[in-house]
Amino acid sequence: MKVYQCDNCEYASVSKKYRCASCHTGQLQEQTVSSKGNVYSYTDIHIAPAEFAHLAPYTIALVQLNETRAKVAVRMNTEVSIGDAVDFDRMEGGAYIYSKC
Amino acid sequence: MTNVYIEGIGMTKFGKFVDRSMKQLLLDASIQALEDAGNPKIDAVFVGNFMGGSISNQEILGALVANELGLGYVPTAKVEGACASGGIALRQGIMGILSGEYDTVLVAGVEKMKHASTADVTQAINAAMDTDSNEKQAGLTFPGFFGVLANRYFYETDATKEHLAMIALKNRENALNNPLAQFQKPTTMEEIMGARIITSPLGLFDCSPTTDGAAALVISRTKGDIHIRSSAQSSGPTQMQDADDLLSLPAVRESGRLAYEKAGVGPEDIDVVEIHDCFSMTEMIAIEELGFFNKREGWLAIEQGRTKANGDKPVNTSGGLLSRGHPIGATGVAQIYQLVQQLRGTAPNQVEGARLALAQNLGGTGSYSTVHILERL
Repeated sequence: MKVYQCDNCEYASVSKKYRCASCHTGQLQEQTVSSKGNVYSYTDIHIAPAEFAHLAPYTIALVQLNETRAKVAVRMNTEVSIGDAVDFDRMEGGAYIYSKC
Repeated sequence: MTNVYIEGIGMTKFGKFVDRSMKQLLLDASIQALEDAGNPKIDAVFVGNFMGGSISNQEILGALVANELGLGYVPTAKVEGACASGGIALRQGIMGILSGEYDTVLVAGVEKMKHASTADVTQAINAAMDTDSNEKQAGLTFPGFFGVLANRYFYETDATKEHLAMIALKNRENALNNPLAQFQKPTTMEEIMGARIITSPLGLFDCSPTTDGAAALVISRTKGDIHIRSSAQSSGPTQMQDADDLLSLPAVRESGRLAYEKAGVGPEDIDVVEIHDCFSMTEMIAIEELGFFNKREGWLAIEQGRTKANGDKPVNTSGGLLSRGHPIGATGVAQIYQLVQQLRGTAPNQVEGARLALAQNLGGTGSYSTVHILERL
């Protein structure tokens, strides 16, 4: 998993920014970290937009990655609770698909 | 202090109007506002609208208003800021007067949504996310974002789904007294708690509806009774995964801080509030971010009834987005409509002696926020 760590403050993100979104001065440096993490929060989406309607209901989780402050939004291939250990399974249409460890 | 005053207000009923076009709704609210202001000369028009292009194939809303109402060859613009389009349109009107360019401006907001299917409207609303992001590709939606927030809020506090239901019930009870509100059928905690799930833990009553409707204001540098004491706007993260604190909406907090600073007042001075409750959970976070209650303690205030119309900090006396309805581009303007009525003493759920009022309008998953503080002189 690629993350972008600010060289001036604690901020880290999975999406690259021109400048740090937190301190507004630091530069974000690319790092490779483990894709393993824990569910920070989640929702089960029952009513979906047209392009995802065929998947509903499906679970979106915000995953706190283990080796960085960064979190990543993923689609789970199963239902989850807060705190569950999860890991990367595959990419699908630009989305991270995660499963429980 | 802006020294800009609200001279006139107008608003259509909110709901489903299959036989009325977006233009008709927009003109109806605009004419009401012009008449309420005594038909002054208008120097510019700003119209808040989000999905007229994608759902109704109709743009050039500013020019439509100027032409259909015979305002002359005045400058106009449509303003887009997702669900904050109306609040930003108002702010653009204020900035135009503050710049010295205009004396009197017509600000309107409109949306027409009920003719489209829920799937198509949800798809159109998703344009207000960062569509070039892994989280949008994962299938996150707006109600999904606030569902994720709610589950984390429940995890970190003693709040439960019942506290969200209390917000939905309060706003419905307020809407029962507002003849312009979309939902005027009484409901119960049992019905709210038992309703079908949209994005867990949010059920049907936790989510604002799709709505047709319009609202309008005439604002001017000519001194009147209702002063726009401050106008502020901020931006926030456009992706959930970028939030440093998931239970914070920095755009709301920062726009509130700026509005208080410019107005020289604090949250304790505000008598009546309209907050952007696109979801019950959004109202919970916003009452904390605007400083009315401590962080992670909004649910206690809800439980104690402090935000009810007869509480010490009445929130959404109009019924809010949840029950007044949420015609996206009109919402920020409709909030001002309700607050002007509060300050005039003619509002549904009138707060006795209201002098200072605050409106907060949100766009995207916390991407835009405006705050306006009004005072009765």
